[in-house]
Amino acid sequence: MAAGPAPPPGRPRAHMPHLTKMERVVVSMQDPDQGVKMRSQRLLVTVIPHAVTGSDVVQWLTQKFCISEEEALHLGAVLVQHGYIYPLRDPRSLVLRPDETPYRFQTPYFWTSTLWPAAELDYAIYLAKKNIRKQGTLADYEKECYDRLHTKISHAWDLVLMQAREQLRAAKQRRKGDRLVIACQEQTYWLVNRPPPGAPSVLEQGPGRGFCAASRVHMTKSADFYKQEIEYCRRALGRTRVKSSVCLEAYLSFCGQRGPHDPLVSGCLPSNPWISDNDAYWVMNAPTVAAPTKLRVERWAFSFRELLEDPVGRAHFMDFLGKEFSGENLSFWEACEELRYGAQAQVPTLVDAVYQQFLAPGAARWVNIDSRTMERTLEGLRQPHRYVLDDAQLHIYMLMKKDSYPRFLKSDMYKGLLAEAGIPLETKKRVFPFSWRPRHSSPSPALLPTAVEPTAAGGPGGGDGVA
Amino acid sequence: MAREECKALLDGFNKTTACYHHLVLTVGGSADSQNLRQELQKTRQKAQELAVSTCARLTAVLRDRGLAADERVEFERLWVAFSGCLDLLEADMRRALELGAAFPLHAPRRPLVRTGVAGASSGVAARALSTRSLRLEAEGDFDVADLRELEREVLQVGEMIDNMEMKVNVPRWTVQARQAAGAELLSTVNAGPSSVVSVEERGGGCDPRKALAAILFGAVLLAAVALAVCVAKLS
Repeated sequence: MAAGPAPPPGRPRAHMPHLTKMERVVVSMQDPDQGVKMRSQRLLVTVIPHAVTGSDVVQWLTQKFCISEEEALHLGAVLVQHGYIYPLRDPRSLVLRPDETPYRFQTPYFWTSTLWPAAELDYAIYLAKKNIRKQGTLADYEKECYDRLHTKISHAWDLVLMQAREQLRAAKQRRKGDRLVIACQEQTYWLVNRPPPGAPSVLEQGPGRGFCAASRVHMTKSADFYKQEIEYCRRALGRTRVKSSVCLEAYLSFCGQRGPHDPLVSGCLPSNPWISDNDAYWVMNAPTVAAPTKLRVERWAFSFRELLEDPVGRAHFMDFLGKEFSGENLSFWEACEELRYGAQAQVPTLVDAVYQQFLAPGAARWVNIDSRTMERTLEGLRQPHRYVLDDAQLHIYMLMKKDSYPRFLKSDMYKGLLAEAGIPLETKKRVFPFSWRPRHSSPSPALLPTAVEPTAAGGPGGGDGVA
Repeated sequence: MAREECKALLDGFNKTTACYHHLVLTVGGSADSQNLRQELQKTRQKAQELAVSTCARLTAVLRDRGLAADERVEFERLWVAFSGCLDLLEADMRRALELGAAFPLHAPRRPLVRTGVAGASSGVAARALSTRSLRLEAEGDFDVADLRELEREVLQVGEMIDNMEMKVNVPRWTVQARQAAGAELLSTVNAGPSSVVSVEERGGGCDPRKALAAILFGAVLLAAVALAVCVAKLS
């Protein structure tokens, strides 16, 4: 349980690389000749070495990396926030003060990268130890965490208490100075990993990130390690590679082609609805609109996929194919799409319908598929599933793309559409910076619309309009 | 009786694991040395011996079908504590391997982190091995061979955990711990005074002037008391 979840198969990726960089900085600070100047901390009776002052840290960073003092201060503050350096006088506030306040370095065991993620069992043991040492006076949030942990891992509570007592007894074997230092180190670690409420958690990561620590040591004795390496190398060999010169050229041409069409890059006509509160832009570019804009029609020439994805474009293409007497291709493609993305329960009936309409010999709208694909499809139709028509669909798609699509682009129909499509005029900019028209707020969903039919109140159609 | 024996073994294993944890804390820091690595090796070997014997004992008992229900509950509790402790040991061994590899001692590739811990840890190791005192002298390149050994042992412990889970199936949610939350406060008689002192020391900061003032005040108070006694005697 303390080791965390098992690592996923495959080579573990470098996790939280900023921590490795911080550790390198901390280690270079330890250099006996060029590191930070160390002092001793003098307590009542004991003297503990290896204390540094905040100003020394800032000065060393400024010198080593040749940066400004402000930047060095920020870098030092980041080191303190992640727990690599901890303050001695006020351990709860992890800030770097560029004066004589003393700090000390954290031991590598408690570096965040070694013990990531912090385990619940370890936190429970730490709180139990603190409870024993402080005779029950924990901070409020710590008491809450203690109770919560007790509910969560109550089966392991014997172990928690046994370990807590034994760890305290083991610590007594050390001399007082070492004991103090180790207690401070552990406290800092838990302040960073379980911050008190209100303190920013520096280790927060977005969803979908962060898994267990990538082990830096390769366990060369186990067979699993070599199996993973072989798998990794095999996958790496099988990846297709494109020269960066080629793909960068393609990227440049893509940007050049799409630049004028992007509303953020080149502005949008008639006006940006978010700024001018005029939604004509959305109305004009709705999915199904009678008169598409010129930009939209131009986009159909970029690629076949663009044409098919636009409902207006698809409709016009269907008309064109109708004139060429090959409309069944597009209908077949649409039917296959419906099969792929439709409901699971409809799959057998749909497959049957498609077969009867398009694929059976002598069907009403027979599509022209080559014999090999037809054989494979007919084999697969014995056990129909939603991807059984994929091969045939791809064949028809490539046929349309290579054959009908270039003809469509050269056709009079398309040229006519291009000429007809207009560029919307830009709305005149108002003289005054603010608009005279009152801004409409969207109707609150709590207000029922007044036009609800009384007869349909109890039926399934009732309640429409309320979002 | 079997229960007492298992409990004693578990207590010993728990103690050794705690001591090992305490020793691993200082790897990579200023107290790291070949002696520390040797102490770590001895401690973890002792811990593994205890783990093997406890595991064998507990497995034998729990696989016995003719066990009474309340005894079974008791042994399952011990089993859960033992497997948790073994997980902790394995995690600490892995970390020791990582840190030992990152901070090698034989060739100073990386300087050790100056953490302020300077004393010897032989007391902790002696406690782990249940001896009065420990005197070790490790050679200059002890840690190189030690790391290879450690890697093998980590894999062995991992295998032991897997075997344990295969042989005995104890669902964790059915086990009820005997000690409640806050039970540690009831038996902390001997931990009291030293902890109070340590808290005060840490809060005292590095101010010798305060100590001087306290001594002066005490002296003045004593003088005042002596004078008052003399005045009372005279009058």
